[in-house]
Amino acid sequence: RCPSSMDMNPVKQSFQEIKDAVQVNDTFKNVTILSNLHSVKVLSPLDTCCMTRKLLEFYVKRVFKYREELSLHISRGVSSISNSFLTLQRTVQPCKEKSLCPCSEAATNATRTINNNYDQLEVGSAAIKSLGELGVFIAWIDKNYHQETSTA
Amino acid sequence: MKNVLQWNPPEGLTGFAVSYTVQYFIYGQKKWLEASECRKINRTYCDLSAETSDYEQQYYGKVKAIWKTNCSKWTETRRFYPYLETQIGPPAVALSTDEKSLSIVLTAPEKWKRSSEEGFVSMQEIYPTLKYTVSVYNAKSNRTWLQYETNHSLVLSWLQPDTLYCVHVESLVPGPPRQGQPSEKQCVSTLKDRTLELKIK
Repeated sequence: RCPSSMDMNPVKQSFQEIKDAVQVNDTFKNVTILSNLHSVKVLSPLDTCCMTRKLLEFYVKRVFKYREELSLHISRGVSSISNSFLTLQRTVQPCKEKSLCPCSEAATNATRTINNNYDQLEVGSAAIKSLGELGVFIAWIDKNYHQETSTA
Repeated sequence: MKNVLQWNPPEGLTGFAVSYTVQYFIYGQKKWLEASECRKINRTYCDLSAETSDYEQQYYGKVKAIWKTNCSKWTETRRFYPYLETQIGPPAVALSTDEKSLSIVLTAPEKWKRSSEEGFVSMQEIYPTLKYTVSVYNAKSNRTWLQYETNHSLVLSWLQPDTLYCVHVESLVPGPPRQGQPSEKQCVSTLKDRTLELKIK
């Protein structure tokens, strides 16, 4: 598997500190952006790499840059998470360079759905909602990067 | 997983015949749903385990108070995500000793079941990164040490013979802090050192 592991603990800690404040600002309960991530969990290790790379990119390029519009407390938390994501991207990058991170149709469709969900909302609302759903991404990483290592 | 919504009675109405109604919302769905077991109840808690059994979903709960013909506004919870926030119970702990060592066998906690017919699911299956914090207390030296463990059995060697050791264990999932629930403290004594006894004869 490439990458062999993903250390999400810094992200988990930072997210824990801003989660409630972010989610309170998300007033559209009946809409989700990452909801389909649960149903995509049965993937090959290669797909997992592709999904990871694309989701890291989604957050770095489309979500974190809207932190200036948020409160100082949230903005600081987002900065910390953003730095952690850049570190995680550097973890995944060698896999892409060694062609160990190809994208199957399933993985491509799953990340396209996420981006489409994002586009359905006004950009500020979409950014807040995606931030509030970081827990879903954390849980997905937990399952996909520890499922095998613990049973191997 | 067992998920219970709890609240405090409205101020100034303690002792009055106040009843409560609860609703819940599955994040991403369309509307609030009735908690069928919690309509006009007198208690100040509602077990939403059945309604929130999919631990991969996220939920909201809300409650309102009714007194005579008066009805309060709804009070709403923050978003609740069982997978990241549930409190994980302690493992089952089995101890055995000889003169200088203590063997500890841990069995991962079981997922809460709504009814006995439900199959057994270990929390290890849900949380592959489940670890344990093992606390060992030496009654003679009055000192405690902690050990983080991923395995389900460990042997503590080089202990003092004829000494009482007390152990309790807590389940641990890396990531956001969760309220811990340590196992019952169990105490066991290492055996007497027979080599000493032989020399004394």
